[in-house]
Amino acid sequence: MKTLLGLTVANLKSLTRDRAALFWTFFFPIMFVLLFGVLFSGSGDSKVSVGWVDQDGTASSAGIRDSFGRVELLTFQSGTLENEKAAMQRGDVSAVIVIPKGTQDALVGFKAGQKGSIAVELYTDPSKTQTTQVVQGAVAQILNGINLQLAGGSQVITVNPLTLTSTNISTVTYLVPSILAMALMQLGVFAAVPLVQQREKGILKRMGATPLPRWKLVASNILLRLVVAAVDTVLILGVGIAVFHIQIVGNLAAAAGFVFLGAGAFLAIGFMLASFLKTEEQATGVVQVVQMPLMFLSGIFFPFDFMPDFLRSVARLLPLTYLGDGLRQTMVNGTQVAPLALDAAVLAGWLVVCLAISARSFRWE
Amino acid sequence: MTQSGEPVIRVTDLKKHYGDVKAVDGVSFEVARGEVFGMLGPNGAGKTTTIEVLEGLREPDSGNVEVLGLDVCKHPESIKQRIGVQLQSVSLYPRLTVTELLDLFCSFFSHHVPTKQLIDAVDLGERANARSMDLSGGQQQRLSIALALVNDPELVFLDEPTTGLDPQARRSLWDLVKGLQAKGKSVMLTTHYMEEATELCDRVAIMDHGRILEMGTVPELIGRRFKERAVFFDSTPKLPAERLGKLGGVTRAAQEDGQTVLYSDAVPDTIGGLLAMADELNAEPHNLGIRQATLEDVFLDLTGRALRD
Repeated sequence: MKTLLGLTVANLKSLTRDRAALFWTFFFPIMFVLLFGVLFSGSGDSKVSVGWVDQDGTASSAGIRDSFGRVELLTFQSGTLENEKAAMQRGDVSAVIVIPKGTQDALVGFKAGQKGSIAVELYTDPSKTQTTQVVQGAVAQILNGINLQLAGGSQVITVNPLTLTSTNISTVTYLVPSILAMALMQLGVFAAVPLVQQREKGILKRMGATPLPRWKLVASNILLRLVVAAVDTVLILGVGIAVFHIQIVGNLAAAAGFVFLGAGAFLAIGFMLASFLKTEEQATGVVQVVQMPLMFLSGIFFPFDFMPDFLRSVARLLPLTYLGDGLRQTMVNGTQVAPLALDAAVLAGWLVVCLAISARSFRWE
Repeated sequence: MTQSGEPVIRVTDLKKHYGDVKAVDGVSFEVARGEVFGMLGPNGAGKTTTIEVLEGLREPDSGNVEVLGLDVCKHPESIKQRIGVQLQSVSLYPRLTVTELLDLFCSFFSHHVPTKQLIDAVDLGERANARSMDLSGGQQQRLSIALALVNDPELVFLDEPTTGLDPQARRSLWDLVKGLQAKGKSVMLTTHYMEEATELCDRVAIMDHGRILEMGTVPELIGRRFKERAVFFDSTPKLPAERLGKLGGVTRAAQEDGQTVLYSDAVPDTIGGLLAMADELNAEPHNLGIRQATLEDVFLDLTGRALRD
């Protein structure tokens, strides 16, 4: 155990003292999150649709509706509270405004000298920062206008802000598990490079001349990558949560399972590549040739449904598709490409097959 | 050299081939406890393959190989606990420091020497916290010897320990190896430098094309082939070879690197005859000198080519 730990620490030190490796392992995925986050957080659609629930049903509530209708950024659909909340959960509308019963009475009462106020309910999804800000701004502005016009600035109509989480997740929330999948794929596949390097330099052979058993050499390599996988996961999710307010709502244990299963599967692919590559130059080249198509054909960066049929059948063959899908389902309840069990089975299959091939073909010198 | 007790290495008819290439083709030898044994030969002679079989890194095709009294094929792990190994041109984890690498290797063995002591033994105290990638060639080689000593081995294998080093670094490594022998360790090394073999080795095996051509102490090897000494001078066409061969005391004449070498068992006669002949032919033998035959001569005589061809 002491040997295994010592060897893992030695590998970890080698990694953290190598600036290029550090960059690719830790900073590159974070840059991806930040970049995609900034690109996609302005949800693309310039108009924000809002559900309108009029429980008052009076001339006043219609007047308020007219005031809102003049805001160019917003479009409205009317319905019952139940329907509109459901629509928001589906993602059809980004917010719901409720004009409660008694709104006209309150306004009339104020003019008659009565005190009191009435609260308009506003449902927004805090994970969608941008649309939430737009809607909250518009609502505040319009209600202020009405208060100024009808009550000389007194707060007759107030806002009661409520939250409602939409299951139709924002683009950033959709992308963060994808970026995590990409990072796990890269850390696995890239593991081929130091391994080939250590063989080429004779380090593996030199270890073979000590009593160190080979399984410990392999185990320490796996241990190192799993530690890196855990750190990457924390970093990527941390940035996603801190900067873009994504919500992790799924089953965390299952998500952790997918993180390690995915890292394991791609590490097995890395080992397999290392079995067939002879020089470090070869390895760096081939690793790129493998990871680029994986990244762009696996459909981790755009919804599966949007892909042309041909690409979809290619994506169905690639393991990264299933890791992305598994992570998305377990972390943010995203829409599924395949059942979770199939995701897990495909990854386990790649892991076993590639590990078996590596065990047969790996050369220590 | 103490020849008493069980030999630390006993190899009988070792064979190992890669495809059609017979890398080692029937090699037998023994190394006694406390002895420094050298394998001398050109690149591709089979030295490294032989030493790597002994280290448990390669399986022999046939033959019997015992190290420290144990069969290499049956007990590789217990042998590895007790031997020290330095491989040809290995660079280790480049970003680990000298101390970290030694600590790491110490953890592989059930019993090991304190790291500080190892660093002092190879005189790397000032570079203890330097990354191995920042060491000079000689320092890297000393580190790689320190790594071979972490388990206080009874038997140390050094594969071309001084190849690529400058003369000063080579000298300092030679002192290290002599120090090992003084501590009672047995050493087997390979080299293609004859001075190194002459300086360090109690006994030498000359190897070529996978076979041991000759084995013994350096004086034995030279004495077996060359009772005579060599008279040499820059070759000149004015002194015809057939007449030189007939000078007094000359047993054999040869051409080496633009020099004529006359092997002679009566050097004064040879020199006298040579000078008389030069006078007569109005020629002058430049850079005239006399030397003992060397291992290089032995090798040339055995294989018909120079060691570093």
